[in-house]
Amino acid sequence: MPDLLEQITEFPADFYRRFKISDLDGDQLLAVSEAMKLSLSREDMLAVQKIYADWNREPTDVELEVIAQTWSEHCKHRIFGATIEHTLDGETETIHSLFKTYIYDVSKAIMARKPDFVLSAFHDNAGFIKLDEKLAICLKAETHNHPSAIEPYAGANTGIGGVIRDILGAGKGAKPIASLDVFCFGAPDTAPEKIQAEDVIHPLGILRGVVRGVRDYGNRMGIPTVCGAIQFDDAYIYNPLVYCGTAGVIPIPDIDKKVEAGMKVIAIGARTGRDGIKGATFSSAALDTESHEEDQQAVQIGNPIEEKKAADVILEARDRGLIGFVTDCGAGGYSSACGEMLEEVGGTIDLDSIRLKEEGMVSWEIFISESQERMVLAVKEESVPALQELADKYETELTELGDADGSGILKVKHHGEIVCALDCSALHNAPVRQMTSHWEKASGGSGEAGESPALSELLRDVISDFAVVSREPIIREYDHEVQGNTVLKPLASAAGDAPQDGSVIRIDGSDQLMAMGLSLLPEWGKTAPYEMGTACVDECFRQLVAMGANPDRIAILDNFCMGNPNAPEELGALVETVKGIAAAADVYSAPFVSGKDSFYNYFETKDGPVSIPVTILISGMGIVEDKAHVVGSSLRRGDSVIAILGTTGGELGGSVAARQMEAEGMAVPGTDLEANLAIYRKYHEAVKAGWILSAHDVSEGGLAVAMAEFAFSGKGGLDVSLDALPVNGEVSKLAQLFAESSGRLVLEIAPEHREQVAAHFASVADGELGTATDAHRNLRVEWGKEVLLDESLSELKSLWKNGLAPYY
Amino acid sequence: MEERPRALLLKFPGTNCDAETARALEAVGFETEIAPISTVTRELLAGIRLVVLSGGFSYGDYVMSGRIASLVTEQKIDAALKEFRDNGGYLLGICNGFQILTQLGLLPEGSLVHNTSGRFQCQWVTLENRAPESPFLKQLPERFEFPVAHAEGRFVTADPAEADGYREKGLAALTYADDVNGSFASIAGLQDESGRVLGLMPHPERFMEARDHYDPDWAGGDSGKGSGYFLFQSLYDAISNSQ
Repeated sequence: MPDLLEQITEFPADFYRRFKISDLDGDQLLAVSEAMKLSLSREDMLAVQKIYADWNREPTDVELEVIAQTWSEHCKHRIFGATIEHTLDGETETIHSLFKTYIYDVSKAIMARKPDFVLSAFHDNAGFIKLDEKLAICLKAETHNHPSAIEPYAGANTGIGGVIRDILGAGKGAKPIASLDVFCFGAPDTAPEKIQAEDVIHPLGILRGVVRGVRDYGNRMGIPTVCGAIQFDDAYIYNPLVYCGTAGVIPIPDIDKKVEAGMKVIAIGARTGRDGIKGATFSSAALDTESHEEDQQAVQIGNPIEEKKAADVILEARDRGLIGFVTDCGAGGYSSACGEMLEEVGGTIDLDSIRLKEEGMVSWEIFISESQERMVLAVKEESVPALQELADKYETELTELGDADGSGILKVKHHGEIVCALDCSALHNAPVRQMTSHWEKASGGSGEAGESPALSELLRDVISDFAVVSREPIIREYDHEVQGNTVLKPLASAAGDAPQDGSVIRIDGSDQLMAMGLSLLPEWGKTAPYEMGTACVDECFRQLVAMGANPDRIAILDNFCMGNPNAPEELGALVETVKGIAAAADVYSAPFVSGKDSFYNYFETKDGPVSIPVTILISGMGIVEDKAHVVGSSLRRGDSVIAILGTTGGELGGSVAARQMEAEGMAVPGTDLEANLAIYRKYHEAVKAGWILSAHDVSEGGLAVAMAEFAFSGKGGLDVSLDALPVNGEVSKLAQLFAESSGRLVLEIAPEHREQVAAHFASVADGELGTATDAHRNLRVEWGKEVLLDESLSELKSLWKNGLAPYY
Repeated sequence: MEERPRALLLKFPGTNCDAETARALEAVGFETEIAPISTVTRELLAGIRLVVLSGGFSYGDYVMSGRIASLVTEQKIDAALKEFRDNGGYLLGICNGFQILTQLGLLPEGSLVHNTSGRFQCQWVTLENRAPESPFLKQLPERFEFPVAHAEGRFVTADPAEADGYREKGLAALTYADDVNGSFASIAGLQDESGRVLGLMPHPERFMEARDHYDPDWAGGDSGKGSGYFLFQSLYDAISNSQ
């Protein structure tokens, strides 16, 4: 194909070329896109041709690269903006943009109902919510899936590095205060012969590389990694998922940023090299065996100390009022950072001023390189000397790239020539994609496994399942206490090793705290994507409320990953998931303030394509208004009352127990959003009254696992009965113990508050299950006269605590 | 208004516990300045009573931890920190700061190398106070807990007998109650002969409030303060009283 590019080269120079595309047909245009690895479709290329016809000129290679970055799925979210003909159970509707319909409009409506809560959403690198009169907090999550599949350590390393830069580039620079990481991998004990493709890294290698990548970046940056999750499923063997998220804090007046004509555009941080060329377009395509050989160049190398120095400069510069506008260099490099900064005001970037890591880079390479650890700022000319001093003080480099000029045109100069001159307003309207999707709701399964195993044995199997076992070996590799503000730690209670529902972070300069939580339930989505969506929002929201957050002050993020969007059934699952999260966000009035999506997570194996299931990560931040409201997830006393909030249903679909029993076709639980919200409001009142000693969300593994985890603090045994368990219809003992119905919290209440609490929860589904005891250290569960479980907690804890140890 | 004793916190590229360490120093009464190493001169030490090296990964710690930071410090201010100590100044090195002080030769000879686990370890540890008269440790009980977070915290000496000797001579100010990282003689913190220099791997600045403890029902929490507070308070009292 290089022949084609040579044929159409109208103006060749050593460092850039002008291509004559005006007389090419659709096939030829597509061939140009492929030869340049632009990842632009035939329709896109025809649209480009038309734009240039209107301008009456031909494009340069730099311009085509800029357009490809701007229109890439990674940057423009073309699928979330597409027009989709969606068919559900035979009924067809037309959705004009999933993003607008279900994310943006829903969130805007919530914001209108809750003025003065969300201070910024959707247009900046991260959305901000108000913490108090002075400060705002933000959260952003990203995926770094393709790079982590090919180069797990470097991929995860730069994944966390990139999302930290998003926070540094949010507003006039937010201070990163906590990180989360969520992974989806094949099981660590996957048999090697199961992997049906060459050069695919075994899940264990991915796990180890990714964890170390997050560790070495997050720890060096001094940002506590406080929250996380890992899902193990065969579907992720070829396409592992790596989500990285970071939260930040900013003074409210620094949220608004602006570029003005006359401002200088400067870069702070590392130099520019050939590492990370075409990351944005690479991650907008599927992986195959060749990717492992050819696309190495698209994965960058991380250097956290460079980023730390840049962070020190930016945060001090912000406090000294030196910053007009700041954004990070992420996907698309300078092209996307400068493009975003100058899209309205216009200006000139001089490539000759950019400090390079290597000689001989051509114009487009310099402009789109995704070399890490670079931030771009627009500042008043008189601020440049003070910024230079700061850069010297923290031993990093400052480079003047150019200036903003009010022309509305993005101009790029190299060796004295204009190699790019784009009116960015012409690029806003990328062609809207037309797509089709369909989904058939699973017919409700019978709900029970044929043969019920012994409950005691099943509990042991479930608590040793990779889905449930302690993440301690990984959590301890992350410095989760740096900055000295991790009040509720990921592992806590008497022995410092009991699992918590999330984390709570103190914020310097405020009496209010931030809770962080997250949920993903990909197993549910395989058969019931809508229910997965509602349950994920519910679980994240419930964790935040459980830890003490005010249910009226919670904001969430949506991060989607899926396989092939061109397969109608896969896209249908996505549509249903989006509808689910939107419905739950609406009822809970928890707006989305940021989100991201990752497509083409499928792989061509010897046996055909393997796609991941649609995977939604809901992460969230909530405000805990007083440190006295912080509630942990572990039993604190040997004499307390144990109660449950929420209703248990008979559906075992999606549960760990169902997987253990290899039961298929079981119905997945639905979520009663209105009823749950009423419970959470009541619960929060009880927290404020000081009645809740501790609370744990019932999630993977069901009630039996939740109670065992609750008692892993070692502070007491549990004597409980399921007679008062609120249930929905006829629910078997198996489901009572192991169903994963949403909306449930196990509570510990001091005996002296027993009556008050019972009266307080009278209007919602609650039940007193029993008591903690100092008489034994067992989990003892009765139902009627039958003893369902009487298990040694230390044995259960040992299974749970050591489950991952052989692998990490 | 009474003049507060001044503390200077040296910040290297990659130092990342400076803010919370400064916050801890301020909480007990020190007037604290954070000085990036590029700005540090001998003159900056004038009037300073305490120099602090906080945690982090100076220069990335890609070669032996603290090594480059110690070379840069020597290049910038030569032996000024030794003179500072000899003239009655106090030095505190936490985690990476302990590694740097060791590299600078301000503490009994030894090295901090990779933990025997081969991993980064973020956990809480029980410590034994073996220098109850130390100006840093006076207000701390015989045993207490601090969090640690390090990959290179294993204290070793050329001959293990040297580490045992540090214990006998009272230089091993803090020891781990359990084997945390394979340190010789379970050494978690060292003081020099003058008693005015202390290096420790654990992080007192992360345990300033009782609520920072992992157990919400921590038995030592009556004062509302965490054990770390008392390290800084001891130091503040010692320095104020020696004025």
